[in-house]
Amino acid sequence: MLLLVGTIPIETLPLTYGQVHYQPDKLTIGDYTLEGQYVTLGTAAMISAASATCQALGIAEPYAAVVGDTGMGEGTMKLLKFLTEEIAGLAPSVVTLHYILPTRDPFINFVNTAHKMEKRPFLIADAGALLNAKAVKLAQKFDLFTPDPGELSFLADPDAAHPAYVQHFIFDVDQTEVPRLSQEAFAHGDAPRYMIVKAPIDHVIVDGKVAAVIKEPNIPALEPIGGTGDTITGEVSALISSGMDVVESCVAACKINRTAGELAHPTPATTIAQFIPYISEAVKKVVGHK
Amino acid sequence: MPEEEKDKALIVFDYIYHAMRAKPVLEEAGFKVREVAPPVEYRTGCDLAVEVDATDVDAAENVLIEKGVMILDILFMPKGAKLIPVYLTKLIKTVDYGDYVMVRCGNMKITYQKGSGTIVNISGGGCPDIPFLGMKLYGTVIGKGPRPRALGKTVCAYTLEHAYNKALEIYSKESTKKGK
Repeated sequence: MLLLVGTIPIETLPLTYGQVHYQPDKLTIGDYTLEGQYVTLGTAAMISAASATCQALGIAEPYAAVVGDTGMGEGTMKLLKFLTEEIAGLAPSVVTLHYILPTRDPFINFVNTAHKMEKRPFLIADAGALLNAKAVKLAQKFDLFTPDPGELSFLADPDAAHPAYVQHFIFDVDQTEVPRLSQEAFAHGDAPRYMIVKAPIDHVIVDGKVAAVIKEPNIPALEPIGGTGDTITGEVSALISSGMDVVESCVAACKINRTAGELAHPTPATTIAQFIPYISEAVKKVVGHK
Repeated sequence: MPEEEKDKALIVFDYIYHAMRAKPVLEEAGFKVREVAPPVEYRTGCDLAVEVDATDVDAAENVLIEKGVMILDILFMPKGAKLIPVYLTKLIKTVDYGDYVMVRCGNMKITYQKGSGTIVNISGGGCPDIPFLGMKLYGTVIGKGPRPRALGKTVCAYTLEHAYNKALEIYSKESTKKGK
């Protein structure tokens, strides 16, 4: 079972757990329904992409644990407490952590609890969870990170507690900087075994070394669209939970996102809500299921 | 002759929301301050601390309390202690997409439409307030709508404020040129 975890910026959203189902303009999580612009906000964009990928693969849709949080962290605390208490009983095979406010002890407690499970889930982190894992020195207790080049610069800088403090920032992905920074991050324990570095040229990294490079189709307008990194995280989570090999899943997720971009004909003003409906067709083109 | 280095104190906060308010409040009150990363044992991944001269710390604390800025702790730093400053001004890059301009600061990106100045996309970041900021800023005209610093509560929002300011600067220059 795939479990997706994160906050959604709706103050009144209670801690909600359940199976998800994405339809354009509507995302249900257990008994809770998100509609309109909320379907594609932050964690919801990642969940929608994972749900759309599972539908296209013909496998069971994921479960999600979400809560309202607009940045003060109360929702994040509730969410991490719930996860720590319930993870053993839920017994997911893959857990993806997404938009959360970085914290110390609640985050560390959850990761340690997951590691004590009889069958430890495959742990994925993106967004706030990725920043948190590195800041509290737990990156190598995760299996997969999905950083962009800015976040990779942050992982590679052992002294930086946040991308705002990185001393040598890279903006553009080139064939030298990504391998070097990936290797450095892995060498000092700030990167997990697998990474997807999401950028105009995507890199799949294994043990600090480049395992694959994905360049096509190249859709420059995807970069400014908020949420196109979140959708890759959702897609790769769904693919790994389907049983596909990890590196194959990483490569396929990058191709799915690019193919969806090709189908959507985006401009820099395209919204992620307009992009997500193309994921299903892109999955079928790239992976070929259902 | 260079000014002798003074002892420093570091004000740390439970919530980044308060840390973001501290600098303008203290500067307005006449204190010399610097925003830095807190020491490792205080880090969570979304942190900002404020450094002041140790001799100013009591007065600075009073000002912050008076203005409702909640402090977690005050640390007196050994002379010469190296703290990591915020590098955001070095982290800015702009990309021209024809009808749109994307401004990137660190891990945050803001894209607006040339001419109208309408914000069409916000990308990057990982804290819960970023999707919230996206919702509030999309469709607003840069310089006329809400600001990330006013609504945000995290370092990602603080970083986005820098991108916003640069975008506003570029847009204002474009508008002035057109007006000539």
